[in-house]
Amino acid sequence: MNALELRSISKVYGRGAAEVQALRDVSLTVAAGEMVAVMGPSGSGKSSLLTIAGTLEEPTSGAVLIDGKDTLRMSGGAKSRLRRRTIGYVFQDFNLLPGLTAAENVSMPLELDGTSMHKAHLAAIKALEELGLSSQARRFPDQLSGGERQRVAIARAVVGERTLLLADEPSGALDSVNGEAVMQLIHSYCKRGTAAVVVTHDLQLASWADRIVFLRDGRVVDQTAAPAGPETLLEQSS
Amino acid sequence: MSMTIYERDDRPIREPEDPRRVAMARRSLSRWAMRLALREWRQRVLIVLLVAVASGTTLLGIAVASATGGKPNAANFGTAQTLVQLPGTSRNLSGVIARMEKAYGTASVVYDEPITTGQAGGADLRTQDPSAPYTRVLLALDSGHYPTGTEQVAVTAGLAQLYSLRIGSTWHVPAGTGPQAGRAFTVTGIVEDPSNLLDEFALLAPGQLTIPGQLTSSGQVRIFIGESLDSAAAAAAGDVIPKDAVVSAPIPANTLLSAATIVLIVSVIGLVFIGLVATAAFTVMAQRRQRALGMLASLGATEADVRFVLIADGLIGGVTGAIIGAAAALGGWLWYYPHLETATAHRIDPFDLPWAAVVIGLLLAVATSVVAAVWPGRTVSKVPVVAAISGRVEPPQLVSRSLRPGLIFLVAGLFVLFASGGWGGGRSAGYLVIAGLLSCEIACALLAPFIVDKLARLAWRAPLASRLAMRDLARYRSRSGAALAAVSFAVFIATVAIVLASVRYHDALDYNGPNMASNQLILYDTDPNANQYQPGQPVPAAKLAATRKQANVIAAQLHAPAPVELEVPVSVNVPSPGQNQFGTLINLHGQGSGSIYAATPALLKAFGISHSEVNPAADVLTMRGLLPATSGLALVNGDFLVKSPPGCPAGMCVLNPVIQEMTKLPVGTSVPNTVITENAIKALHEKVSPVGWLIQAPSALTPVQINAARQAALAIGTTIETKTGQLSLGEISNGATIGGLLLALGVLAMTVGLIRSETGGDLRTLTASGAGSLTRRMLAGVTTVVIAFLGAALGAVAACLAVLAWSHADITTTFSNVPWSDIGLLVIGMPLIGAVAAWLVGGRQPPAVSRQPLE
Repeated sequence: MNALELRSISKVYGRGAAEVQALRDVSLTVAAGEMVAVMGPSGSGKSSLLTIAGTLEEPTSGAVLIDGKDTLRMSGGAKSRLRRRTIGYVFQDFNLLPGLTAAENVSMPLELDGTSMHKAHLAAIKALEELGLSSQARRFPDQLSGGERQRVAIARAVVGERTLLLADEPSGALDSVNGEAVMQLIHSYCKRGTAAVVVTHDLQLASWADRIVFLRDGRVVDQTAAPAGPETLLEQSS
Repeated sequence: MSMTIYERDDRPIREPEDPRRVAMARRSLSRWAMRLALREWRQRVLIVLLVAVASGTTLLGIAVASATGGKPNAANFGTAQTLVQLPGTSRNLSGVIARMEKAYGTASVVYDEPITTGQAGGADLRTQDPSAPYTRVLLALDSGHYPTGTEQVAVTAGLAQLYSLRIGSTWHVPAGTGPQAGRAFTVTGIVEDPSNLLDEFALLAPGQLTIPGQLTSSGQVRIFIGESLDSAAAAAAGDVIPKDAVVSAPIPANTLLSAATIVLIVSVIGLVFIGLVATAAFTVMAQRRQRALGMLASLGATEADVRFVLIADGLIGGVTGAIIGAAAALGGWLWYYPHLETATAHRIDPFDLPWAAVVIGLLLAVATSVVAAVWPGRTVSKVPVVAAISGRVEPPQLVSRSLRPGLIFLVAGLFVLFASGGWGGGRSAGYLVIAGLLSCEIACALLAPFIVDKLARLAWRAPLASRLAMRDLARYRSRSGAALAAVSFAVFIATVAIVLASVRYHDALDYNGPNMASNQLILYDTDPNANQYQPGQPVPAAKLAATRKQANVIAAQLHAPAPVELEVPVSVNVPSPGQNQFGTLINLHGQGSGSIYAATPALLKAFGISHSEVNPAADVLTMRGLLPATSGLALVNGDFLVKSPPGCPAGMCVLNPVIQEMTKLPVGTSVPNTVITENAIKALHEKVSPVGWLIQAPSALTPVQINAARQAALAIGTTIETKTGQLSLGEISNGATIGGLLLALGVLAMTVGLIRSETGGDLRTLTASGAGSLTRRMLAGVTTVVIAFLGAALGAVAACLAVLAWSHADITTTFSNVPWSDIGLLVIGMPLIGAVAAWLVGGRQPPAVSRQPLE
């Protein structure tokens, strides 16, 4: 069973003269543990693809299956539950809640799901420790650097052992070093069995993915395996 | 790869929410909402302030209203169920009391013998047992101790001040106070009647007045018993209760229509107003929170969870405001209640309040804040997650508004006001008045967005900044409509007060207003004594001469000109003192203007009225402008017109008298504002008799001067009258105008900022495009003027209609005496003031921001 399956997804925004076809008949499958990068020029539909996959929007036509379940037949409450338990979303702008500490931001999905504050906090601390941020647990977002904020956002997206991670330009607001670090983190979660879809416009960062999907004008124009990067070559040589 | 085609079922499969999850999630969200409230407390100041004002004024209103009324039965009945009053000269009083106690149980008895003082209320020599069960509440000891010996007395503070007494002083009972006159007593204490602080008395030891012959016919015996008896039962008990006894019982308290309940109902009107402004504030807060709320939704928060965040905000603001308001009200009440004791003349226990009403008032204030957050919360929870996260504000839905709901409420409100009965509606009509005013207020709130809706169409020819401002008002209709409704409410209430007061104060016959100016004093003659009455001369000549002499003395002391002798026309045809003995101006329904003075040459001269100014045919001169045009009047000195069949015999009645307006006559209900000419006096076969002397000092009378005059009056057994606290029309109008102005400007200050903040992005764009401070000032100024002027005009028009409907009067009667300058200040002056303020603060350049910062 695939972690994510998009079947003939189309998305139209607006009406009449203002109508925009963001996606046209896009199909995509992502297996558990697989990392897929989505690339394309501005306006190619990358972000729309991700928001539809994350049940933040509904497609105009087509089907979205997550762990084999059709999300279009789900109620709003069921979709919310999916986002609390199964899907982790990482935004370009981090989108951390300003009034919560780093640990509280990470534990928020668990608490929304009914986990006790104590247990949620423990899980959050564990997630932050894995990312080397346990010392920042009590700091507020405006007290963290850009890289730290994005790592907190990633920790929030993976806490609770989710099966699907969706990242929209996770390195867009970071420098190259931090950007590489973020991709490395996502890659490490994929090795544990989490499926990931990462939107990026940086080929260097896309090389971390198992597969790259190219979008143009709302269509998938090409799919290819990621070019071998230095790490891949090292692995092969050993 | 197989593909299964799913038929898309548009019906979402609803699963029940896990209550445990909801509870845990709400805890978490409450924590976040509280954290935000503390971090961003400045954004909540408006809400907290509104709720604090609402709860504070409601609580203070409940306290004042319930304390003002006091316990109306206590002053007359103590804690008894029946009061039996007997004249002081009743036979065998002790036997009567014994029989009543045998029949009805223990009785508390109070003996009173009047003594004359310089005060209009008089005073009593009193005997009562301080520990008597039913009259214990009518006596309290301020200092010293109760009299126990035959030569001891305790006096009230008023008497102590009048006679310059303190504990240990010697007091002599004034002359004319029955058998006790001239007796000397030693003052042992200062006492009071807590339920009636105006009750002045000198308390003797128990038993001092119980001996037969100690009380005169003017004296009184009050017997308080615990059993409830009505007049019929008393009459049936003729062998127990003497036939000349007056039996009365306390009026049952109406707890349903208590003062506290009425205050709560009125406070609902204010809470509607506050809710309007709070809704606008929460709407802006919701939009500022939109991105964060979108993040929450992306993490799995449901719509209900997102709504809950704002509702929690409303609850936090409401509870905070209620606590602040309650604390302020408590402080204000503790400061004010001693003043209220003086004004209401009874002791007030500051903590004896209708606490149920207080709690309800607080809960209503909190509920207003929560309810105000519900609709903005619902709106923001419906925003698509992606749009919310991106920070894009959904363009307002341009819904076509209907005029119908607002008109329906307006018509209904006017009808209910009309049905309430106007001035003679009575207490039960109060609810109809409140309902009518509430309906008119809702009508203003419903009509306001419609007016704003149509506004943009007028803007197409306006300069850029004005055009933008008016279109923004139409675009953000919910906020501007709420602001407009709030301003209209403030002006509505102020205008109602002004117009109502002008109608009331301009009643031609039932003249209302302050009794006199602060520099005026009237020394009255003694009341006519039935034993000394002579037709045409109520008071003996010697007495008159003594009072006249004293008036001259008082005038000299005050450095005032010679007193103006106030004379009334007295009929020589009425054989004994009674009703309508004096010349009276009344209408055909029997409504009268009260006794009016005679226009003697000396009186006219005193007010600078020359003989040539007086119409030879005039029967009445008056400063009341509407009186000359009032028809259906008569000058009478008898009750002919109210008899059946009515009559107006020549020589005793003048139908449709000639009334001349004379603005030089003084203003005041007790001074000669309306006088009968000598012509009319002759026509009625009357002669004039002095009743008092008007003294006009060069400046306002001081308390020392007033007291000295009172002492002088006391010396000859008469009374004086000085200015009371009654407000004039000008004072009421000014107060309402200032109150409405401040309220409206406060609303403008709060809401214009909110509205302009929503278009902050536009302002930045304008600035980046080269617009300067002038454009920014114009935006703020035009926004302010439009809201203020439209709101004020709406409120003023609605108020005029409301008063017209309520008073059942015609347009001329309702609006002929309105101080239009005050209304003009509200409708035109207030917008200008607001515009100037907005102009001054609206020129600041906004911070240049290219994208939304992390908050």
